[in-house]
Amino acid sequence: MAGEGKNKNKREEYKQSLKEGDAALPQKKFYRQRAHANPFSDHALTYPKSPTDMNWATHYPAYALSKKEEAGDEAQGSGAQNPKAITQPVEIADIGCGFGGLLFALAPNFPDKLIIGMEIRTSVTEYVQEKIRALRTQAASTTTNQPTYQNIACLRANTMKFLPNFFARGQLSKIFLCFPDPHFKQRKHKARIVSYTLNSEYAYVLRPGGIVYTITDVEDLHNWMVGHFEKHPSFERVGEEEQEEDVCVGVMRMETEEGKKVTRNGGVKYVACFRRLEDPPWP
Amino acid sequence: MAHPYQCILASNAGSLDEFNWTLIGASGPKLVVQSCSGARSTWPKEKEEIAENGQGDEPNGPPGKRLKLSPPEEKAPNFSTMVMSNDSQYLVAITGEDKCIRVFQIDSDCQLQQLSQRCMPRRPSAITLTSDDSTILVADKFGDVYALPLLPSPGEERNAIPTAEPSEAVTEKKFTPAASVLTVHSGRNRKVLEEQMKQAASLPPKPKETMKFKHDLLLGHVSMLTDVIYTTVESPVEGGKPRGYILTSDRDEHIRLSRGPPQAHIIEGFCHGHEQFVSRLCLTKSGLLVSGGGDTDLFVWDWLNSRFLETLSIRDPVFDFLKTNKFESNLPDDKAHFNIAVSGIWNLPNKDSEFDEILVACEGIPALFHFKVTGGKAASSLSHVIAVNANALGVAFIQPRESALQMIVSVDNVHKPASTTELRDEEHASRLQYFSYSQAGGWSSQAGYHKQESDSEVGMEGARKGGDEKAARDILYNVEVLRKRPGAED
Repeated sequence: MAGEGKNKNKREEYKQSLKEGDAALPQKKFYRQRAHANPFSDHALTYPKSPTDMNWATHYPAYALSKKEEAGDEAQGSGAQNPKAITQPVEIADIGCGFGGLLFALAPNFPDKLIIGMEIRTSVTEYVQEKIRALRTQAASTTTNQPTYQNIACLRANTMKFLPNFFARGQLSKIFLCFPDPHFKQRKHKARIVSYTLNSEYAYVLRPGGIVYTITDVEDLHNWMVGHFEKHPSFERVGEEEQEEDVCVGVMRMETEEGKKVTRNGGVKYVACFRRLEDPPWP
Repeated sequence: MAHPYQCILASNAGSLDEFNWTLIGASGPKLVVQSCSGARSTWPKEKEEIAENGQGDEPNGPPGKRLKLSPPEEKAPNFSTMVMSNDSQYLVAITGEDKCIRVFQIDSDCQLQQLSQRCMPRRPSAITLTSDDSTILVADKFGDVYALPLLPSPGEERNAIPTAEPSEAVTEKKFTPAASVLTVHSGRNRKVLEEQMKQAASLPPKPKETMKFKHDLLLGHVSMLTDVIYTTVESPVEGGKPRGYILTSDRDEHIRLSRGPPQAHIIEGFCHGHEQFVSRLCLTKSGLLVSGGGDTDLFVWDWLNSRFLETLSIRDPVFDFLKTNKFESNLPDDKAHFNIAVSGIWNLPNKDSEFDEILVACEGIPALFHFKVTGGKAASSLSHVIAVNANALGVAFIQPRESALQMIVSVDNVHKPASTTELRDEEHASRLQYFSYSQAGGWSSQAGYHKQESDSEVGMEGARKGGDEKAARDILYNVEVLRKRPGAED
């Protein structure tokens, strides 16, 4: 189609016009992408072989071990610190971060924690990365007490397949699953981001006491997620009182892109949080 | 031309005081059993087949009715994998086309009696048994592992509560769309919703395929599972019970370590390192894990601690073997462009060796590769390359007497050696090859015990006439296809 080609060209032109030092926020219209991705297909993904192979330093340059140390390490060879490493581990993951609304809202709430947004759609990931770059540039040129956005990053990943490639056992304290694809069709239910079997992987990367946050405007999906987490012995549902006191719940309701859309439509938002329990002793 | 044995196995070689052995081969949809006493049987029997079709209810009923029950053009499903119970009493086998798990009792006179036939919702890709033989663990192409009792107790069938997804109960009631008008929609979701509305109006929902036998969903990957292992390890706590573990491998390079039931929901770790699909797992005598797949190397692991120990190159010896033996027609000049797919890793039951020893087969390669594995303690090495007459498909070990070890290799009598596509010209190529092993002399070829080859078997003639050729090939060669192709959709 002629129109599509034109759009593609415009996107290319726009993306090439972006420069490293640019402080202007990216325009969302050049990054739109269909809302669904097949989590089972072999996307041309890049992912680390294991959590220790992950190059976090490129995502959080402000937290990278210094260049000098790096050079020293290379000279010393193995046994020294990994040059791809950062000074502290990523602790919060927003899985299916979309255009990053939650990520940008969480950044000032957890200034001393590293937060990662993970998204399967290429263009949407690029948008979030551009926006982070722009916000970091803006923050660098002001002296006011603004968030630096050095503690957030976004990468493209199929977390349903490769979550354990990014995070070690018990590394995370919070996982957000906000407005996931509802996969209405019965035979597509295995493609849902929450299932009894996938919950084992969330339990693996979460430390005991860590929380999974879920929100959706689809009641059926909400019931599905609650059912599958409550069935899983590694999780218990967080009580309503505690849930409403959690600052993250408020942010999740009001700051995600989908959350705003639902508010505009006058829809209902269903929230459920689940705490990771200690593993029981061996039988 | 007889159908090759796509898989073979033998009962525990030389169990403590007896040196009785039983060899079982799967040839297309047939099982052939042979014992050291010379007894031999096949399953299904020609007679039995007819009896089964008649269901035994009306032995004198009109023949027309029988035909209806089992249309002759329906092909018997082929066996894809099998495992024998630790006590050698039972055989558990998977038939691919109908996704069924079949349990057989192995009688003293070598006859197989099918005890049960349980069909799974997804095609099983690997099976194993727990150490106490009570439970079958079945891994499927959709990534899930289920536990089924080896022998379902008679009362169970009715009381079985399928591990229903919570929504199944909901959807079996009257259809209500999952979304409402207030739901935020993408264009696509809106279409799906419309379709659902239309469908609900026109037809009643299809009754869901449910498994009417006891089964528990233990764990799942979002990837095709390729192998599953169950093992127990002594408890590190004094007086503690032995600990059961499940190891699973998938097409996305993962090897996962989970606790055994009833705590199979707990993941203990991953063995990270493969860059291509993992197709086979093997635990050695001393408890090391060896994994292989589409990578150039085999990986050796201290799996309990998710610790990588060493790699063993498998591509290089395969490449060198093909080069030396002039199987060069499909061989690239550069090793780097040569792909191998590990189709089998077997632990050598060699009590005399102080080291772990394994045999490795690769898809479409007329040889087996014998490695000594030390786990990094000393130099692991390739001990022997055993050339066989045709592409190696399966291996079974038997111990006919004290400190004697023999190996039976099933080979592809249909395709040319080193090719998975070209058919060979000889009509009567052998399907099995025999070797005996000695610590000093290595492997030497032997005359067989099997008095087969001449008798009537399910032929491959149909396959030769085209059409079915690909289907027949898929039974024998289904590992290399796991490799991801570059340029998959974005």
